[in-house]
This record gives sequence, C-alpha cells and structure tokens, in this order.
Amino acid sequence: MSEQISKFFHIKPVPSPIIAVTGGKGGTGKTTVAVNLAVALKMNEKHVMLVDIDVDCPNDAVLFGEKLENGEDITFFKPRINTEKCVKCGKCAEACLEHALVYVKDQFPAFFEELCSGCAACQLVCPVDAIEEDRKVLGKVYISEVDGIRLVTGELRPTEARSPLVAFKTKQKAYEIAEKESFDVILVDTAPGVHNPVVRALQGADFALAVTEPTPLGAHDLGRILDLTRTLDISTSVVLNRAYIKGGFKKVIYDICEKYGVKIVSEVPFDEKLIEAYIRGVPVVKLFPDSPCARAIFELADYVSEQLK
Amino acid sequence: MNPLAQPKEIVVASGKGGVGKTTVTASLSVFLAKNNHKIVAVDADVDAPNLSISLGGGKKREGREIRISHKAVLDAEKCIKCGKCGEICRYGAIFQFDAAEAPFIIEILCEGCGACTLVCPTQAIKIEEKRTGELIIEDTKYGFPLVTGRLELGEHNSGHLVTSAKKIGHVEAEKVGANLLVVDGAPGIGCPVIASISGAAYVVAVTEPTPAAKRDLERLISVVKHFNVPAGIIINKAEISEIYRKELKNWITEELKMPILGEIPLDYEVLKALTHMTPIIEFNPSSRAAKAITEICKRVAEKIE
Repeated sequence: MSEQISKFFHIKPVPSPIIAVTGGKGGTGKTTVAVNLAVALKMNEKHVMLVDIDVDCPNDAVLFGEKLENGEDITFFKPRINTEKCVKCGKCAEACLEHALVYVKDQFPAFFEELCSGCAACQLVCPVDAIEEDRKVLGKVYISEVDGIRLVTGELRPTEARSPLVAFKTKQKAYEIAEKESFDVILVDTAPGVHNPVVRALQGADFALAVTEPTPLGAHDLGRILDLTRTLDISTSVVLNRAYIKGGFKKVIYDICEKYGVKIVSEVPFDEKLIEAYIRGVPVVKLFPDSPCARAIFELADYVSEQLK
Repeated sequence: MNPLAQPKEIVVASGKGGVGKTTVTASLSVFLAKNNHKIVAVDADVDAPNLSISLGGGKKREGREIRISHKAVLDAEKCIKCGKCGEICRYGAIFQFDAAEAPFIIEILCEGCGACTLVCPTQAIKIEEKRTGELIIEDTKYGFPLVTGRLELGEHNSGHLVTSAKKIGHVEAEKVGANLLVVDGAPGIGCPVIASISGAAYVVAVTEPTPAAKRDLERLISVVKHFNVPAGIIINKAEISEIYRKELKNWITEELKMPILGEIPLDYEVLKALTHMTPIIEFNPSSRAAKAITEICKRVAEKIE
C-alpha cells in the first residue's frame, strides 16, 4: 500500500492510543496477554478499554470469569422485495455479484440470505423502488465493565460467515464509546490468522504486539503476521509466550525477529499458575501477582506505558 | 469400495486455536493411510497453514494461483470527485477528505460488491479480479498427496479458497483412487470453517479442559449441528486440570449430547514430535499420547465405515 493509503487506513476518530494484540497462530496466548495486560495497566492507574475482536471465538470475558449479557444486535442491510411493486425485470439479480439474488424469467427474484453481503447494490438498480431495507443479524456487541476496565466484545452469530463485518461494527461501537469517555489506552484482541477480520481489528492501531510460541508452527505463523503488519505499516513487537519450553524453537523465533527488524519485548515463562488462573476465570496478575508469568506481564505493562508517553 | 462414490471428507475443527487440530490431523492422516485407506490431506487453515510442516514437509508438485476476489479500481482521470462512491460504500473502504481530490479505495477493505460502480456517473470505477491466494499440491513422505490453501495476506474470501482446496483435493483423490479427504480446518467458526464443514461426512472436534476452549467448542458444535454433520469430540491436553476435565466431560455428554472419541494426555513427547516435524504416532508410537491418538484414530475409522 502506498504511503497515502496507509495514512488513510489508520485514521481513527479518537485520540486514545490503540495497541493491538495479535499473533498469527491460534492458541499462542493472545487473549491471556491482552486481558492481563489490561489489568496490569489498570493497576498502573491507566483508564483502559479492552476490545475483543476475535469475533468467531471471543474469550476475554471468559478469562475474567464474566458472562456476557444484554448484547446489542449487529445488523446489516438485506433486501426485502415488495412484490406489489416488483416488475420482475431481474436487474437486482444482475447487480448482485454475490449471487444472493437469483432471477428466473417472469418470477420474483429469489433471495438467499446466507450469500448476501449487505451492499445494497440491488436497491440502487431497481427501477421501481421495490427493494426495501430489511436488516439481518450478523452478531452481537456487548458492553460491560470488569475490574474498572471497559470491555467491548464482538460476537459472530453461529452459522453466519461474515466475521469481517462484525469486526468492523465492533470497532465502530468501541470508537463511539471512546468518543464519550477518554481512555489512556485502547487494547484490541484480534482473531488468529492473517485474514480480513484481523485486518479490521488492526485498523487504527498505533502499534501491535505479536504473541508467539517457540514451535515450528508458531515460527511459521509469526512470519505471516509480521508480513501483514508490515504491509499495514504498523510498528510491531513480539511477545514470546511459553518461552523456555525444553527443546523449543527459541532461536528460530529470534532469527525471524531479526530478519523482520522487530524486537522481542517480553518472554513469558510457562507457568502452572497461569493455567490455574485461566481455569478459575481470574486474570493471573490479580490471582498470583508474584508468579513468574505475572511478573513478566507487569514488565510488559511497564514497557507499554513507556511507549504511550 | 464403490469406485464411483465421492470420497468422504473428515474435517478436524476446534473453535479455539492452538488446542491441537494440526497435531491430530497429521497423525490421523498417517494412521488412515497405513490402515487400508487411500487418502488425500487438505490444509484448509488457509490463514496459517501448518499441516505440511507437521508432516515433515513434502515434495512440491504444483502451485496454482487462485483469483476469485473482486476489488473496485478507480480511474482518477475519469473521476469528477463527486464523492458518491464514498457515500454508498457500506464497508468504509472509500476515503475522500478533500473535495478537490479523487477518493482513495483501500483495496484491503473492499468487499468487491460493485455498489460504487453503480452510482459513479462517469464509469470511473471498475471491478477487477484479484489474487485470493494459492493452492500447493505436494507429495508427502507418507505416500499421500497434500493440498494446501494459502490465503493472500489480509484477503476476504477465505471460504472460497477452502472450497477450491477441497475441489482440488477431490481431483487428486480421483487420480490416486482415494476414498477419503482428511481436512485440517481453521480456528473459529466463520467463513473458512463453514466452507470446511459443508459437505463433510464427519467432524472431529478437538478441545481442551479450559473454560475458553469449552465456550468455543459450544459455538463450533452449534454450527456443526446446523449443517447436520455427525461429529465426535477429542479432549486434548486432558491433564491440564483434573477438576475441569470432569466438568467438561459431563457437560459434553449431558448438555452438548455429543460422543467423546477419546482423551489425549499431556505428554512432552507431543511437543518433541512437533519440533521434529513428525506426527506423534510415527515419532514415538509407544508414548502415552501416541497410544491415545492411535485408539482415537481407530474409532474415527469405524465412524466413517
């Protein structure tokens, strides 16, 4: 992307710095780092918003032991065909590149909701205004407060495929709230992978933390996410989780970081206290603040606070 | 075996990432290939495809570019800077801050719907086909082919790429006379997972005894049930929490009403196998994890008979 485009891409309506927690591979500890970092920053007197944009499988609330309730529907356009007005011309089906509207001569167009991307091109081309706006529910967004942290969670409705749009709308909701309350920092927890929902979550980020693990799979996927953050022009640092596993691939991770010119800013040791806290639904920095992994997260929080200055 | 029958698809999925999908898929593929099945493996985790690494890397036979993405492209010379395209775009992909400047289309955010082309009074915007990713066909050292989908960075259409990968998997299956496709799915429950599950004969859902993995399993199973595909569950890293393990097992049987295919103990040999890029049942067949996985593989083989 050209410099200008990457400038536009990251425009955000709020002044609060945004830090994305991402990582490529699933299960490397993105959510653990995001949640515990949020708590640690809160302990450092920061006003923190945590946005869970892993909309397929959002687990930030689970790690706080919280149940998500009273979500607001995330909806998108879908067409409703007014059969009294429709002249069966088939132009809507022709305009629909997703083939969600299908036309058979002399019949009303058939609508396949699961294919609809909500673009409303059908409405634009209908010569008789027979296409009315209806809404389809893609997911939910939950706003809550836990341990003094504002938590915004986006959740895809199961069987719905359009995670990027749910990610997009969740981000918009987070911005709406951040326009009213001012946050010292907004932390964004992304989905695994390098696909479009991750791009939506990374949009607007001032910098990113890529969480990885010292295995060949962690190494491979770290390369992919560093390629993506480089493409999106986001300055990125690496958090190496489960850093000291025996026979691990630590050196390979260091080599990749050197190749990409990124720093490993934290090594979080494998720690049974972390698993215990994870299962009990209490962030480890609160439950076992003296454990080795909690200490590593506190150091990471100090590093992040430095970056925010 | 009926030679005309379509090969069946077994999909390994999980909801949560990092619970052991690829570890299971690698061993399951090798087990089936060594036990009277002809298989083709498909890596449908197109974001982070790791099956090839877990199988020790194969001999690449073919790479194919897949171009099924659509993007809006603006011709700045024809543009009269009216701003209508930016107003109509529901995805926030078109930016125009200065009325004197032509708008910018941010390709990575564009869904390729074409609404902007319909409102542009001067036909300055066209929809063009773009690269979605690639499919790599390789021959593994275990004698079966592997088709890997690799998504272009940041792309949409991961589901379409999965469907293409499975299609090529079927073509390979026909060539080698395979009766099974073993598909390594993506984490999550969205587009690529739906594309993996649709048309599958059986889903192997991998989980671990943690609240987050349980929550994600619940979401995955609601999708699997929607598509009416039979499924069984593997509890991996079973010993991370003895208490939660019991709770999880009860919940799977009583509430979720799904069969448990088996449990895999926490075993350091799994990690060693991974760093040696060898499926655990090959790396150390007498290890606790390998024995448990072998039993599970037998059960999966029975399920698909």
